[in-house]
Amino acid sequence: MIIGAALMLLSGCAGWGFSSPGGGKTVTLTYALWDPHEQVGYQQSINEFEKLHPDIKVDIENIPYGSYEQKITAEFITGGAPDLFWVNTPWLGTFIKDGILTDLTPLIKASHVDMSQYYPQLVAMHSRNGKIYGLPKDWDTIALYYNKAYLNKLHLTVPDNLSWNADGTGSFVTFLKEATTDTSGHNALSPQFNPSKIATYALAVNNDPQGGWGNYVAEVGGKVIPYPYASYASLTTPQMNVGMSFLAKTLTDAHVIVPGTLSGPNANGANLQQMFSQGQVAMWEQGDWNTLSVKSSVTFPVGVATLPIGPNGRVSVFNGLIDGLNSHTRYPRQAWELEQWLGSPRSQAILGSGGYVWPAIKSLDPLFLQYWKKQGIDMSAFLTEAHGQVVNFPVSPGIGDALTEIVNDLGPAWLGTEPVSTALQTAQNDANYILRTS
Amino acid sequence: MTSVATAAPAATAAATTERTTRAGRSVRTTLFYLLLVVIALIFITPYLFSVFAAFKPLNSILAQSPWRPPTPPTLDNFKTIFTQYDFGRYLANTLIVTVILTAGQVTFSMMGAYAFARMSFPGRDPLFWLYLTTLMVPNIVTLVPLYVLFAHSHLLNTYWAIFLPYVLGVPYSVFLMRQYFMTIPKEVMEAARLDGCSESRILWRIVVPISRPIIITATLLAFVFGWNNFMWPLIVTNSNSLNVLTVGIANFNSNFGVQWNLVLAGSLVALVPMVILFAIFQKHIVNSISLSGINR
Amino acid sequence: MSVATAVTTLPKQRKTTAAENTAEERQARRTAFAFLAPSLVGVVLFLLIPIIMVVGLSLVQWNMITPMKWVGLSNYVNIFEFDGFGHSLLVTGYYVLLNIPLQTAFALGMAMLLRSKRAGSAVVRIICVLPYLATPVAMGVVWNWFFNPSTGIINQALSHIGITGPAWLSNVVTAMPVIAFVNIWQYVGYNMLFFLAGLQAIPPTLYEASSLDGATKVQQFWRVTLPLLRPTLLFVLVTGVIGSFQVFDTVYVMTAGGPGNATNVASLNIYNTAFSGFRIGEASAMSVVLFLVILAITIAQFRYFNKRTTYEIA
Repeated sequence: MIIGAALMLLSGCAGWGFSSPGGGKTVTLTYALWDPHEQVGYQQSINEFEKLHPDIKVDIENIPYGSYEQKITAEFITGGAPDLFWVNTPWLGTFIKDGILTDLTPLIKASHVDMSQYYPQLVAMHSRNGKIYGLPKDWDTIALYYNKAYLNKLHLTVPDNLSWNADGTGSFVTFLKEATTDTSGHNALSPQFNPSKIATYALAVNNDPQGGWGNYVAEVGGKVIPYPYASYASLTTPQMNVGMSFLAKTLTDAHVIVPGTLSGPNANGANLQQMFSQGQVAMWEQGDWNTLSVKSSVTFPVGVATLPIGPNGRVSVFNGLIDGLNSHTRYPRQAWELEQWLGSPRSQAILGSGGYVWPAIKSLDPLFLQYWKKQGIDMSAFLTEAHGQVVNFPVSPGIGDALTEIVNDLGPAWLGTEPVSTALQTAQNDANYILRTS
Repeated sequence: MTSVATAAPAATAAATTERTTRAGRSVRTTLFYLLLVVIALIFITPYLFSVFAAFKPLNSILAQSPWRPPTPPTLDNFKTIFTQYDFGRYLANTLIVTVILTAGQVTFSMMGAYAFARMSFPGRDPLFWLYLTTLMVPNIVTLVPLYVLFAHSHLLNTYWAIFLPYVLGVPYSVFLMRQYFMTIPKEVMEAARLDGCSESRILWRIVVPISRPIIITATLLAFVFGWNNFMWPLIVTNSNSLNVLTVGIANFNSNFGVQWNLVLAGSLVALVPMVILFAIFQKHIVNSISLSGINR
Repeated sequence: MSVATAVTTLPKQRKTTAAENTAEERQARRTAFAFLAPSLVGVVLFLLIPIIMVVGLSLVQWNMITPMKWVGLSNYVNIFEFDGFGHSLLVTGYYVLLNIPLQTAFALGMAMLLRSKRAGSAVVRIICVLPYLATPVAMGVVWNWFFNPSTGIINQALSHIGITGPAWLSNVVTAMPVIAFVNIWQYVGYNMLFFLAGLQAIPPTLYEASSLDGATKVQQFWRVTLPLLRPTLLFVLVTGVIGSFQVFDTVYVMTAGGPGNATNVASLNIYNTAFSGFRIGEASAMSVVLFLVILAITIAQFRYFNKRTTYEIA
């Protein structure tokens, strides 16, 4: 026991600040990320990279998502930030404005990186004033995961082109009513339907600008901010009102959508995964990064359907991560090598074929599709939307914080305790203050 | 007033009371045990559900009611956290820093508490109020300057960083033990001083033995605090090899899919040493030398 | 703090010379400071200096990266006008009122019940403290299951007797009481420990004497137990109020400040302002205001106890 304790203490020697003398010319880079599942794929890619570059070692550091932005910021101001780190769009604008990310434009030119291989919307999302701050490496769209077993039981299949109108009519609403059942088995079209005893809701959409209402307001032409890097919000436009009311009022009143009170704090959807697993939701609107969670948490076969078509067409919110290059890195040459590798077809093929993410290189998308087909889930709905109309996740300094405030302020509208227009006005005021002062 | 003088009348009084309320006694006993069971149920039931969940795969946790026992129970979650996530190392890290933190904190807080309680020196009361007021500032924001201080001292990402802010004694412990020390009659210290005892001896040979309940309490509090501390270790360590338990458990969540099965398995593993520790020491808080034994 | 000063008489001392006095006094002072030194260093380095820095930060605008900008007292205005901090303080005060009286009463009651030496008491003592020993995240998860409007055990039990339970965490009326309930559950065992230790210090002879005088158990409680528990009670109440005003974990895990802002307590607001909004200046101003509120209440508590505490054991 004593020997064990001693060994334990010795093994923690590095923890006491005794650094081992470095070897020759090997450089060790730190690479930060937050997802433990994707980390497996990235490790495989890094292993290949290290074989090609024997003088570069890469340490992957996992930082929990809830503290990710804060930790990177704190480390940056004390000079200890990782050399490369994942950057998500809520804080992209802030990081660019504060000079944390390196402008890669000259490096891209010098290394002749082919930017046309990536989705052009991703390149635009991560550019500002002609400078680009990361090589796109993945993308996400939003679609409807559905419970195949439940729909089969009702002899329903999801039609291809469901649509909705601003006044609440359309094939989408009709289908939702067919797919909502109460505890006695009546669907919402039946006169015996009992709205206080609903067994399964047809649809779950959460109070979220990306995986939830963001898509519906986009389908009516509404925008959270009028243009990228805007310092004010555009939440009080008629289009925003129409899109939000369709969900929070029309569909809620029709009892076909999970009410805000059941979906989670401020209707944020925290309970929806459990409800979906227990068969209380037929179609769960979410982003494709949830596929692994969905698969490992349910016991029934799952299908994926595209979003319905709105007055302006079918639109999905589009997002993608980049690997930010620390502007204060001690090893700019090696860091650029790693950045290039992660943006290259070889690396993205590893990640795509392992089913970890949709690669940002358009031609590699089929790899991801094939992986999930083998697992029994058809992901083509996400791809269809990526090739259709998409609207980029909003980019602006402080937008992450602004969106959190907006979601909180919209909560009462989803809970039915406030009219949608009032909630949007409050959200607008709070968002304006944050965007103005960020 | 010794107990001998009161023994005789007390004995007869007790005998009478006993005869007349024998039935009352068994009612009281039943009530007592009923209350005990109710209290035990209230406090253990939520635990039970988290224990069940630790032995279920993720889809069972989500698909079933939480109060269904795992059928059959699986050890996979535990296997995963120890093999895929290095949980053993997190345990070791947490143990090292918590033991050091506790030893230092209790010892130095105790010395400070004794000084405030039973020694006189200029500025004693204002200084004590200074200690108290530091408790009233939410420590969320003080984390930022503290972090910067540690960064400039090149102490980041070391064990030192994790326990240093707490190991020299903290106002909470000082306050706790000072209250207790102040109920020890002054004459005890005065007598010892007249006998030529140094303050050190008074503290260690006289005060500590009769203060066992509060010192054990302070030790347990310090240990639990160090064991469950989250925000500070999170921001002050970089490499995952220095993770403590709380940070390790937080890492089981990817952004959009909480791995409840792993979180609860990890929390259960983190809980077991705490329960063992507490079970061993809690009787010292209840059975102790009563201070009334000291002559008045 | 003169509260717990026992009433004692000093034994007669022989008169000392002036020189001996000063030397003795100097020695005593040196020893006292030696005893205080470690915790004092800790308090100054790790508490006082950061606090002073926070006060300084409350007068600037800073997002941690770009240079600080002096704004004087405008942060103090903005937190009330734009960040809803006034509302946060009110909501926090409501929580403290819901939490502290009940929690203290239960802790004391349980301590009196469980100090017994009867078999099983020790086990239940340990069980009561389990919630405090566990990480708040794990417990928050479990309570979310309990209070889930459709699948939670509470609403399911209620539906068996014909009542449709509310959406506990989404309803403005029930959200904060639920948070208070969970917190009471979590910390009542912990506070019980202090009362257990404090009850130990009461001489049993007092109970014997008073029962001989014909005092009932109830009278013993009010006349003997409670007055002698005052130092412990003061500690529990003061630290309880200070802790409650800083409640964070439970709210963070269960409601995230919702519904709307109904449970957006002060600490959560500070945390979000600092670590989501990166508005360090405003978060610091909020911390200073919260500190002043807590300080005022703590001083009031001490005054109240000073007036009422007697220590003579007749």
